[in-house]
Formats: sequence, C-alpha cells, structure tokens
Amino acid sequence: MTDKQIQIFMDSLLPLLKAAVAFTIPLAIISFVLGLLVALLTALARLSSFKPLVWLAQFYVWIIRGTPLLVQLFIIFYGLPKVGIIIDPFPAAVIGFTLSVGAYGSETIRAAILSIPKGQWEACYSLGMTYWQALKRAVLPQAARVATPTLASSFISLVKDTSLAATITVTEMFQVSQQITAAQYEPLLLYSEAALIYLVISSVLSYGQARLEKHFDRYTAR
Amino acid sequence: MLEMKKLKKSFGDIEVLRDIDLRLEKGKVLVIVGPSGSGKTTLLRCINLLETPTEGEMTVGDLQLTFSPGTKLRKIDILELRQRTGMVFQSYNLFPHRTAVENVMEGLITVKKADKHESRSLAMEMLRKVGLEEKAEAYPYQLSGGQQQRVGIARAIAMDPDLLLFDEPTSALDPELVGEVLNVMKALAAEGRTMVVVTHEMKFAADVADTVVFMDNGRIVERGTPDEVFRQSANERTKAFLSRVSGTEPPVQATF
Ligand SMILES: Nc1ncnc2c1ncn2[C@@H]1O[C@H](COP(=O)(O)OP(=O)(O)OP(=O)(O)O)[C@@H](O)[C@H]1O
Ligand SMILES: [Mg+2]
Repeated sequence: MTDKQIQIFMDSLLPLLKAAVAFTIPLAIISFVLGLLVALLTALARLSSFKPLVWLAQFYVWIIRGTPLLVQLFIIFYGLPKVGIIIDPFPAAVIGFTLSVGAYGSETIRAAILSIPKGQWEACYSLGMTYWQALKRAVLPQAARVATPTLASSFISLVKDTSLAATITVTEMFQVSQQITAAQYEPLLLYSEAALIYLVISSVLSYGQARLEKHFDRYTAR
Repeated sequence: MLEMKKLKKSFGDIEVLRDIDLRLEKGKVLVIVGPSGSGKTTLLRCINLLETPTEGEMTVGDLQLTFSPGTKLRKIDILELRQRTGMVFQSYNLFPHRTAVENVMEGLITVKKADKHESRSLAMEMLRKVGLEEKAEAYPYQLSGGQQQRVGIARAIAMDPDLLLFDEPTSALDPELVGEVLNVMKALAAEGRTMVVVTHEMKFAADVADTVVFMDNGRIVERGTPDEVFRQSANERTKAFLSRVSGTEPPVQATF
C-alpha cells in the first residue's frame, strides 16, 4: 500500500464506522427483533387449527421466500409511492428486512416448536395450564434452544444483507463506502475495508452465538 | 369422587372405549390392568380430558360433564377439571429446562399464581415427601429414572389434586428402580389419596388397590377386589392375561 492509500484507509474508517453504528447495526437489530415477533406469530398461525390463519401464514411465507429480497425492497421503496404510500428509506428497509426475517424465521420456529415432545404440552395441561401458559413456560424456552443456531445464522446473514439497503438510498456502511469510492477512485481498498468491518461484526456475533448455545446447554447432558 | 357413565371414546372409526361405567369413592385406589391396546391409557387420559370422550357422562367431585359428538366442552370446565386431577406419566415428562424444585414449583406459580417464596417452600416439602430434598437443584438429566419419576409425583401432588392419575409410572424404569417409586405411591395411598393407577405391577395392585378393573378391547370385563380379580376370576381372558404378566399359571385353577 502506498502512503496515500493508507491515508485514504484511515480517513474513511471513521465515516464507515459511523455508518455502521448509525444505520447498519440498528437496521439489523430492529429488523431482527420485529422479524422474530412476526416469525413467532406466523409459526403459531401455521400451527393453529383455524384454517384461514394457516392459509394466511402460508401465503405470506410463499410470497417472501419466492421473491428476491432486493426486488421486495424496490417494491416497498420505489413501487409503493405509485399507490400513494411513501415510506422513508430507513423504515422501508426495516419493513423489507422484517418481512424477510419473519418468513424464514417462522419456518425455523415452527420446526423447533414441533420438535418439542407432545409430553411437554401434556405435562403443562395436566397441571391446569392454558395453551399460552404451556407455550410460554415450557415449549418456547425449549424451542428457543433448538432454534438458536439457525436464528443466529440468519441474524448474521441479515447484518450482511443490510448492504442491500444501499440500493434504496439508506446511508448504511456499504452506501458510504460507495460514496467515498466515487471521490477517491480506490474501489478495491474501500470495498475491502467495508468487508473487513462486516467481518468483524459477524465474528463478534458468532462469538455471541456460541455463548448463547452454551447457556442453553446447561440443562442437557453433553 | 369419580364416576363415569356409558363413556365412549373413538378415534375416527375405531372405538377405543365402549360404554365404560366406573365409580371411585374418595380415598380409594383403583388399579386398571389389561393387555396392550385395551384402552387403559385412553381411559386415564379421558379423566383429565387430555382426550375428550365421544359420548357419555363423567363426574369428578362436584364437576359434572356430559359428552356428545359435536358439542365442545367449555374451556373453564377443562381447566377446572385439570386442576383437580394430577397426572404422572410413563415417560415422566419433566421440564428439562428446569431443576427438580422448579419442576415442582411450575404449576404453583403458573396455575395457582402462588408467590415464588411460598411455592419454593411447598415444593421443597413435596420433594422431601418423595425423598429427593437433596436433589432439589439438579436438572432432570442429572437424575435417575426413578428419581425423575419421583419428581413427577411431587409435581403432581404439589397442586393438591383431589384425584391422582398414574399411567404405568414404573414401566420405563430399570427393575431395580421400580421399588422406590412404588413405595412413594404406597405412602400416598396410605395418606388417603384417591388414585387411579394403570400398571402391570401385580404385587403392587394386590397390596394397594381397593378395586381392580380388568380391561379388554375397550371394555371393563371384570372388576372387584384384588383377590376377586387375581385369584378367583372365572374369566378366561383375565386368567390368560394374568398368567402372561406373572409368567406362571393363574394361582387358583378350578379343580373339580
Ligand atoms: N391418538 C390416537 N389415535 C388413534 N388411535 C389411538 C390413539 N391413541 C390410542 N389409540 C388406539 O387406541 C387403542 C387403545 O390405546 P391405549 O393406549 O389406550 O391402550 P393401552 O391399554 O394403554 O395399551 P398399552 O398397555 O400398550 O399402553 C389402541 O388400539 C391404540 O392404537
Ligand atoms: Mg398405555
């Protein structure tokens, strides 16, 4: 690296980190939390005995899983204004990512709930618990353990996927790296720098995932 | 305490319980025996409505329920009934993510809305009763089968049910662990608890039961004291079954 390149690298580090802290990370966290909520409700709808609810959930998952996330973001941000629905870039991205996490996550959560033995429900019911009490006290805590590795992976994917928000004008980290590149003509350097920051964030999250899994392992034989 | 009249249960087209009539007084122990598939588990699960009977009537305490196809039970009746009954499962069904004492506290906290402190001390008392005080902080995976089942019993009695239901509580256990569980059950019977027990432990049945019913193919084909059913039965099916579970000929053969 030339001195000039080192200078550019150092100068762009702060704006990139700022964008990560102000947009990339909040976008990922907000979308993931909301997405998990949507995923849980969708999973429960799919497991319900009320058919219309099942169909609604299936339809939602079918649409989201069957179309590209990038296209969904374009529809929300560039398409909806045509019918009078105008959403700012950041909330538009949150909506897009939330729907995505909700759809994929619902499959994970549904499978995790189904993996809990029927006897657990019955033990709750025999104590006099309602469906919601059984779900909250026995089934979801155990399902959470089953779903954690998959959900953690999708959170890490989500952090990287937030770069797609650049295409709908959210000034997240990748967008900022593009802006600096346009001024400095150092695409290899600057995009690699952005990649490095994504890598650091992902690694921290992977470590967090390992800790979480270990926490859940306290009640199982190794 | 418990009464069933013409109780029926079908799964689809298969009739699993046919016209069950049953009465159990407070403080008595009823043991259900019978071959595999005869409907013992289903009968037990009908008592706490884990299965909904198709037709008939059932009374538990002062709660009276009538079943008919197409009518749904009221949720509050179901919950009420389940609070009055406690169930002990063949496969224990302990909550694996909770310690022994937390397992016993669970119903108290969630269903009875008792406070944490009281629940814990009551749960400890129950664990003492089943001889597991010192295992209070162990997770289920750290306990033997017999210990897990005793926690299961403690969990059920902590709710102070009027009626205790046991579905083959010892049949998943290694032979050397059966005794500790049966002893706890004997102590409960001696305390005057009302119990319905499905088991293949004939010695336990003979010692503890006030009434034994023999089920076959969804019907109660014989009922009486243990002595009447085990020693004096004239029913061929009963005799054949008894000789199979005990591995010997029926004790009293007609010799005339
Ligand atoms: N959920 C169900 N759906 C359909 N059939 C069922 C269901 N549960 C039980 N059965 C059938 O009902 C019959 C009685 O079953 P049940 O489990 O009550 O017998 P059991 O006397 O407890 O037998 P075992 O000694 O093997 O435990 C069996 O033929 C069984 O296949
Ligand atoms: Mg059975």
